[in-house]
Amino acid sequence: MSPEPDDLGALGKRLDEARRREAGKQVQVAPTPMGIAFRFATEMVTALLVGGGLGYGLDWLFGTKPIFIVVMFMLGAAAGIRNVMRAAKELNEQAASGANVPAVKDDED
Amino acid sequence: MKINPMEQFTVTPIVPLHIGAYDVSFTNQALWMCVVVVAASLFMTIAATSRRLVPTRMQSIAELSYEFVANMIQSAAGDEGMRFFPFVFTLFMFVLFSNFFGLIPGAFTVTSQIAVTLSLAGLVILTVIVTGFARHGIGFLKLFVPKAPFVLLFLLVPIELISFLTRPISLSVRLFANMLAGHTMLKVFAGFVIALGGAGGVLSALSIAPMFLIVAVSALEMLVAFLQAYVFAILTCIYLSEALHLHEHH
Repeated sequence: MSPEPDDLGALGKRLDEARRREAGKQVQVAPTPMGIAFRFATEMVTALLVGGGLGYGLDWLFGTKPIFIVVMFMLGAAAGIRNVMRAAKELNEQAASGANVPAVKDDED
Repeated sequence: MKINPMEQFTVTPIVPLHIGAYDVSFTNQALWMCVVVVAASLFMTIAATSRRLVPTRMQSIAELSYEFVANMIQSAAGDEGMRFFPFVFTLFMFVLFSNFFGLIPGAFTVTSQIAVTLSLAGLVILTVIVTGFARHGIGFLKLFVPKAPFVLLFLLVPIELISFLTRPISLSVRLFANMLAGHTMLKVFAGFVIALGGAGGVLSALSIAPMFLIVAVSALEMLVAFLQAYVFAILTCIYLSEALHLHEHH
């Protein structure tokens, strides 16, 4: 029972229609709220750790005990905030492209 | 009866082996890594052998995962990023299979070890650095110099540098901590079931409550297992994209 050419044409049309319908709702992996919170927390904490660690290392290297650890820890905090902002921006872009919501214009761009 | 929820993460040697001063024993960790690699390779090979126009279920899953990763790279790093498809796909499949194999009762979760995730993240960052320097030469260092007044650069360059250095660590800690937390939670609830069940009377009947929680948490862990593999892969793509295009920094 081979399909007639007409049947194939109709099937093609139906497939096209179905594809168009499905195109809007592509597989979107939206992170859970807990996932987002977790991501921000790790970004912040690791930046503090890396900053503090670098400071400790530099102090140990130059024998200037408290100076570098204090400075680098603060720089680490700044880097952490930078990371969180960047992560938030990525998430915003993701959400905007996924839900077809017009992206909020970032004044940094 | 004592239940230690952290016991599941201990690495124990199966075949003790020492070379010089180094302990290179074949551990449960190594065993499960082999299982994961073999399973993932076998799955992809078997799924790809049939090559039917109308795919079988297996082939369909393989094609879906191929397209999923390919789309991810395309959207995050563009066409040039496709050169790294084998790398990203391997990473994604390894993490995904490790996470899901870890959910099998009695299995060992490879990705719950910081040593594994940190090695993976280190590999990613090394690839990013090598790609960046290979493509842009010394100009890759511009990644650390944001557009800002000259005076501020003394402050901003160290910040960007630290920010870059945190990447391998946050990448690995996120995966490792998610796996560790999820599996510990499952074991703790399982401990409740046993403790309540052994308490007798009304309390024994109550042990059904944590049992339901375990089912719910297991379902959540399925999601986390996939999501963490996805996050690991997409962040790899984003970092690679930065090394390729050097844009983004404002």
